[in-house]
Amino acid sequence: MKTLYDYYRLFPHTDCGYCGSTSCLTMLRRYCLGKSDLNSCIYFKSGELPSPKISYSPPHLKEPPTEKISYIRPCPSEPTKVTIEVNVLPQTHSPYGYFDMITADSIFDRQIPNLKISPSLGIVRIESEAGDVMVFSEGKVIIRRGADEKRAFWEISRAVRLLWATVNRKIRAESAH
Amino acid sequence: MMLDINKIREDFTFLRSGRIYLDSTATSLTPEPVLKKVLEYYREYRANVGRGIYNTAQTATSAYENARAEVAKLINAKPEEIIFVRNTTEATNLVANGLKFQEGEKIVTTILEHHSNYIVWLRVKNTKKLELSVVQSDREGHLSPSDFAAHIDRRTKLVAVTHTSNVLGVRPPIKEIVKLAHEQGSLVLVDGAQSVPHTKVDVKELGCDFLAFSGHKMCGPTGVGALYIKEDLQASVEPLCIGGGSIDDVGIDYYRLRGGPNKYEAGTPPIAEAIGMGAAATYLMNIGMDNIEDHERKLTRRMLQGLANIEGISLYGPKDAEKRAGIISFNLKGMNPHDVAVALDTTSGVMVRSGHHCALPLHKHVLNAPNGSVRASVYLYNNYDDVDVFLDTLAEISKTLM
Ligand SMILES: Cc1ncc(COP(=O)(O)O)c(C=O)c1O
Ligand code: SF4
Repeated sequence: MKTLYDYYRLFPHTDCGYCGSTSCLTMLRRYCLGKSDLNSCIYFKSGELPSPKISYSPPHLKEPPTEKISYIRPCPSEPTKVTIEVNVLPQTHSPYGYFDMITADSIFDRQIPNLKISPSLGIVRIESEAGDVMVFSEGKVIIRRGADEKRAFWEISRAVRLLWATVNRKIRAESAH
Repeated sequence: MMLDINKIREDFTFLRSGRIYLDSTATSLTPEPVLKKVLEYYREYRANVGRGIYNTAQTATSAYENARAEVAKLINAKPEEIIFVRNTTEATNLVANGLKFQEGEKIVTTILEHHSNYIVWLRVKNTKKLELSVVQSDREGHLSPSDFAAHIDRRTKLVAVTHTSNVLGVRPPIKEIVKLAHEQGSLVLVDGAQSVPHTKVDVKELGCDFLAFSGHKMCGPTGVGALYIKEDLQASVEPLCIGGGSIDDVGIDYYRLRGGPNKYEAGTPPIAEAIGMGAAATYLMNIGMDNIEDHERKLTRRMLQGLANIEGISLYGPKDAEKRAGIISFNLKGMNPHDVAVALDTTSGVMVRSGHHCALPLHKHVLNAPNGSVRASVYLYNNYDDVDVFLDTLAEISKTLM
């Protein structure tokens, strides 16, 4: 099985931004989403590097996640705090999962403090006093160092609501067709 | 000789899914030839060992004893010196409870140890009123013979030290430690959980008195491990459990234990697992421990080079691949190690360990990393691709999420 990184290795690795993506990996992911063309990369366009033949399906597709609370536990390194993992929704809208981190990147780009988006990995990280949240594009949400259970769930829902914007946008874009 | 990695990888069906397994320090994968031996016992000659007189029972007993010989050969011991236990942890507990400690005697151990070779000594220290002396390492985990010389004295009954740290991959100088200890009349227990699977270990050359290791970390099944006890010491080490299989004679008010390894193996042992561990030892010897070590060193070199180019990495232990085994722990600045591990798994199917790896004293007092670390480790079935995908993904995590 090929991973995204097997294809990534065939990319130029300059992160020059000519293609309009922030990095070669973002470009690759956008390409897999049908959102960009390999020829927008200056290296492939000029023939300096051979255009790779890409057929990639993300690993999580094999087992679509179901909506559930996976666990609620004391934090391994700080037992007075709580760690929770949930899956918010089965992925329905895109082969790349529920949340579209590429759209999220374009909406939130550096506007919210302590929020980091990796469009290339499909992950959002939000740090706060009440806990550190990671959201994965396919709908998995993990909080660590949650102050208590109630606040941890509140932080999870805050992160999910924030990223709902990306889902809404996608649904709107799809229904416009 | 080069390893034929593709051929080796075919033996490990786990890898067919395309997952990248970099957690062999926790437990290794199992190759088909080992699984075959385990199933063969269940399918073809399942019987209890050391009991029945019928033919199949004899076959099972020979297979079990043959496994003991295979494991003995791996570490250049005599078969009678190998005791099958559940794992390394049971082995250290056996020594802790089986040695006849006198009040006021001393145990020397190190700050590098896995809890299984640490808290057992804290416990006997309290129950038997002993002294426990902990040798400190430098920031990279190096321990020199002189560090030990300062701790080992005439009162020292036992020195318990790891052969390879399961966090830093460093290898304390066992031969020199054994020499120092024996000069003072002390015994030496070596925790070989991370060395026996990965490098050539020769108990005659090391000179140690005890060596503990686990089957599940050396391509064998879970539930079985081995403790080497030097032959002439066996009379003075009590078994952890006694019962069926470990006696010569029993009367109404007396019992007499057998000699040799059987003394320690009361009750029905993990027969299939022991046979599997023997098969694993042979599997590794056929490939060659030196070849395995060379291969891991190459991967380690690549990994260390790659990590050096990723921003925000704090690497623990020596930077030089020659000074360590294929076990690499690190942190990414400002990120919880568990988050790094989840991101690696979710995006690229790379499995690494996160947390304190059962070595809290080391994380707290040497590495200054109370939240633990991320640990990637390699074994004979890993290849350059595995290392590259791991490094690429980690670089992307560092670039976008740190
Ligand atoms: C150095 C070391 N010692 C002991 C152990 C304990 O091994 P087991 O869990 O098989 O008893 C481990 C396992 O992680 C280890 O790495
Ligand atoms: S144009 Fe090509 S080289 Fe530049 S960032 Fe995009 S993919 Fe990478």
